[in-house]
Amino acid sequence: MNSLNINSIFLISAIFRVGLILYGEWQDAHMEVRYTDVDYLVFSDASSLMASGHSPYKRTTYRYSPLLAFLLIPNSFLSPSWGKFLFSTSDLLVGLFIRIILKQRKVPEDLCTYSVLLWLFNPFTFTIGTRGNCEPIVCAIILWIVICLMNGKVVQAACWYGLVVHFRIYPIIYALPIIFFLDPCFFQSGTKPLLCDWTSAHGKTPQINSEVTDQCDIWLAFKSIFTRSRILFGLVSGSVFLFCTGFFFYLYGWEFLHEALLYHLTRTDPRHNFSIYFYHIYLNYERELSVLEKLISFLPQFIVQLVLIFCFAKDLLFCFFVQTVAFVAFNKVITAQYFVWFFCLLPLILPWSNMKLKWQGLCCILLWMGAQSHWLMWGYLLEFKGKNVFLQLWMASLLFLAANTLIMIMLTRHHNFSPVFRRHAGSKRASKRD
Amino acid sequence: MKSYFDKYENLHDSSFEDFMAHELSSGLCEVFPDNLNINVRLSVLELSLLGEGSHRHLSSSIRLQIEAESVAKLPVHFCEVIIIQRLPRGVFADPFELQHLHERKVFTNIAVFGDTDLELPSFRSNRSVVEVHMDAGSNILSGLNNELEINVQFPLHARYPPLDESGYSIVEIGEPDVLMSCSMEVKHQKQSCLYMSPHNSAKSRTGTVAWRIPSGKKAHAGFVSVVTFGTAFLSTLSIVLTSIYCSGIKVSKNLKQS
Repeated sequence: MNSLNINSIFLISAIFRVGLILYGEWQDAHMEVRYTDVDYLVFSDASSLMASGHSPYKRTTYRYSPLLAFLLIPNSFLSPSWGKFLFSTSDLLVGLFIRIILKQRKVPEDLCTYSVLLWLFNPFTFTIGTRGNCEPIVCAIILWIVICLMNGKVVQAACWYGLVVHFRIYPIIYALPIIFFLDPCFFQSGTKPLLCDWTSAHGKTPQINSEVTDQCDIWLAFKSIFTRSRILFGLVSGSVFLFCTGFFFYLYGWEFLHEALLYHLTRTDPRHNFSIYFYHIYLNYERELSVLEKLISFLPQFIVQLVLIFCFAKDLLFCFFVQTVAFVAFNKVITAQYFVWFFCLLPLILPWSNMKLKWQGLCCILLWMGAQSHWLMWGYLLEFKGKNVFLQLWMASLLFLAANTLIMIMLTRHHNFSPVFRRHAGSKRASKRD
Repeated sequence: MKSYFDKYENLHDSSFEDFMAHELSSGLCEVFPDNLNINVRLSVLELSLLGEGSHRHLSSSIRLQIEAESVAKLPVHFCEVIIIQRLPRGVFADPFELQHLHERKVFTNIAVFGDTDLELPSFRSNRSVVEVHMDAGSNILSGLNNELEINVQFPLHARYPPLDESGYSIVEIGEPDVLMSCSMEVKHQKQSCLYMSPHNSAKSRTGTVAWRIPSGKKAHAGFVSVVTFGTAFLSTLSIVLTSIYCSGIKVSKNLKQS
């Protein structure tokens, strides 16, 4: 590991991604099965429509912000692969941001390098950008928001947060933890918040961080919710979101609102996917589901999100991670691209985990991949062999939820909770670092 | 088919047949000299579904027979066979996939009209039509006898069918309507006309092809809903208890230390 310095890692990753993009072009031209994601063709078509002055929503199944089509306009005149290069660059940026965040918290060099490698050489990660999926952009923005918050730049974080929620709705789940995170004990006007550094004790034994005194705990934060940073964050991010939404509504009307926003909020897909709800939705598609049924299916998601936020908001990155895993696992529709939402956060929590790769870590990896492969096997039999295995496929999705739940529990139990910030030296109650 | 869908919102067999009889009769080939008797016959030899599962290829073999009493001296002409395949609600063709085939020069032209929504189940969808143009060659009407066999294959996808107690739903696809369009320059003007085989009321040799698609069973509905929500509840409980327990240790230890 010493011989492989971080610059070489980034260079090799970049060259590898360029190679994959070029290979993808060759495969698309010469083989029946394309390398490029179907969604990329949708984005490209939408951007060429936008370039010629039309609405990107004339392209069926384009359900994203017009910003994405705008970013891909060079596909029309520069190169059809421009978007893939953009997404792969964002992918590399995520690696860079992972390193910045860990370095700022004084994580040792070798742990930093392993964490960066975990992202850059994860097969799931490098294929997603090179196939033309836009999720790396969202991941990069979220990590940049975390960096801004860590450095006390509330307004900048708020601007990017408003933009990312406009771009992809799911980061709205981070709103409440960020609000709790902007604790007045740490965010004092005129001073940069102090980071709580990683220490060698974090990696070995469960540590209870005594930084969090009972005066700065979550209940006091709840009582004193209206502080300057919080109001500022809420107002700025809300304004940015409303501005973007309003601007594109002015340009593209109800079609934009429906396709880019409302569709995602009300989406129920009866077609098979990893979600436990798919078969229930298909079996009940012909009749309208009652309000009670809709509420019951939303309740697990709602309860889990609230409990995770109240328990872990101070350890912001861990909170983001478990929230995202739970959000994906309990969602009504789960597609493979959603996994990258938490893959980008995993390298940021592992330095604080006392879970060893042998054998607990390996068991978690094998359990997750095994449950996924099991589902894919039944999915293949249904979709490509035409066998009626709906019941078995649905049971496989239940097993997948069970696997996700078990892994979340194991990671939570082995995590050394470490709030991101500590109190300033001159404050009333002296703080102790482990 | 664009003109059909400009006039009608959805595909119905009766309105389609009227359309074919009425609208296209005005385009029939009458541009040849009077004493020329050219007999053009188009027939569907074989219709089959290739592949397995929800993504298959529909394959049609078309025979084109041209019989003439004598060798005709006609201006240079180019002909293409037009295949119009009506699809039932249970299947659809992806327009972008067909466009990709067109770019790879598999067909002279190909398009799908009607309901091309990729996501809706069949009971929320409407029918669609695929129109394929295949090159039949040049000057084929000038010879004594000409016979050509054309094979057309394009991808189709199954929609989610309505629930069925047997666990499968059968979708039937009938044979396509086949035309030939020839274009030539007559008196310095480009003209094109259509040949159509006369409508044969007798049952055709090829008939229909049946596509067996897995469907959900209504009997599963109650059990699946209960177990789905039960599993979600158990997962929720496990996560909630673990989170409270793990963060609870932190709070109790803090209280002990302060």
